[in-house]
Amino acid sequence: MEFTKDILAIDAEKVAGQITDFIRDQVKNYFRRKGIVIGLSGGIDSAVSAALSVRALGSERVHSLLLPERESNPVSREYGLLCAKSLGVACEEVDITKILESHGVYAKRDEIVKKYFPGLASGYKFRIALPQDLLERDRLNVYHLEVLAADGSVLTARLAHDDFLGILATSNIKQRTRMIRLFYEAERRQYAVCGTTNLSEALQGFIVKYGDGGVDMEPIENLYKNQVYQLARYLGVPKEIIERTPSPDTYSYVASDQDVYFCLPYDTVDLILYAMEHGVPKEKVAKVLGLGMEQLERAWRDMAHKHEATEHFRTMPPSPAIGS
Amino acid sequence: MESKNKIREFIIRTFLFGSKDARLADSDSFLETGIIDSTGMLELVSFIESEFGIEVGDTELIPENLDSIERLAAFIERKKVASAS
Repeated sequence: MEFTKDILAIDAEKVAGQITDFIRDQVKNYFRRKGIVIGLSGGIDSAVSAALSVRALGSERVHSLLLPERESNPVSREYGLLCAKSLGVACEEVDITKILESHGVYAKRDEIVKKYFPGLASGYKFRIALPQDLLERDRLNVYHLEVLAADGSVLTARLAHDDFLGILATSNIKQRTRMIRLFYEAERRQYAVCGTTNLSEALQGFIVKYGDGGVDMEPIENLYKNQVYQLARYLGVPKEIIERTPSPDTYSYVASDQDVYFCLPYDTVDLILYAMEHGVPKEKVAKVLGLGMEQLERAWRDMAHKHEATEHFRTMPPSPAIGS
Repeated sequence: MESKNKIREFIIRTFLFGSKDARLADSDSFLETGIIDSTGMLELVSFIESEFGIEVGDTELIPENLDSIERLAAFIERKKVASAS
């Protein structure tokens, strides 16, 4: 098939039917459960996964959860509720702030941030982000701390190795806490937990192992982000959710998926991933994307490294072969 | 030469579990060979800053400066010369 910008176009009705059949079959015959539990983030992936679950099982067999914490964007709650209402599914809100406090998530993070900005007044917002000039120059993926101070000023600092790992480890507790709650709600109902990871995230490792990656099934994991948008439009996902900039909503200072991880727009990421998976020549990819060869090589290299570094996210835990 | 040895020793100790059998040519790319990823690069930068008393600026965080033993040694040398002049 000719590689063009439209290569990811899908027959949304057909794909929705395939995924719906998959969900029904998995829940009924493989897991032998009675329904689906799904966390709604207010984003497009969970909205599409929930809509497909409702098509597969009916709204009465889908239980949705909003799992905010004190640093969540209020829009996530608003759009999560909107999604649940539009689908007619039960929606329960559980604030996980206290659980995160008990793990020291905020305190440990504050300690790290204040090492860089000692006089920082409380009420600040923060995020970690990568430089966004991936196509423009050869550079390394080195994270910066970006702080929005209470007075509106923005402060940045390059994170040292240990501090980056510290922030990442504490932040990942958020997703892992949500996973625990989802399984609690699923098990007590004899339901299965539905994941919301798409193919672009899976291939690049933009998930938290045993966090949002800890689920029973992944109905949209074979769809690039672009294709999730196509399905969303077909399924009638609310416009606000479709138009929202994709964000992990992990940090109090709002950051997009691009800021935090990809350094490229999803449309570019998706087409390069497709090309990598299908052996499309780089020259062809550069031409279709309107990039110079040097730019494409930078993006390709970066994405290949991310894919390799996160291979263990996509496989079962390894175990040794034992001979007799 | 001394810089290269210190870098090599650090890399073998930190990223290769101190393996005495580790084969690491001066020109081997850390990233391409998978010895160090970008998180590891931060660790490497911290090491050269403390070991060689230099400060690595954000714009200097590029493979050309950091992605092999010989590139690192040359970069450290350039930084030392620049700070001395």
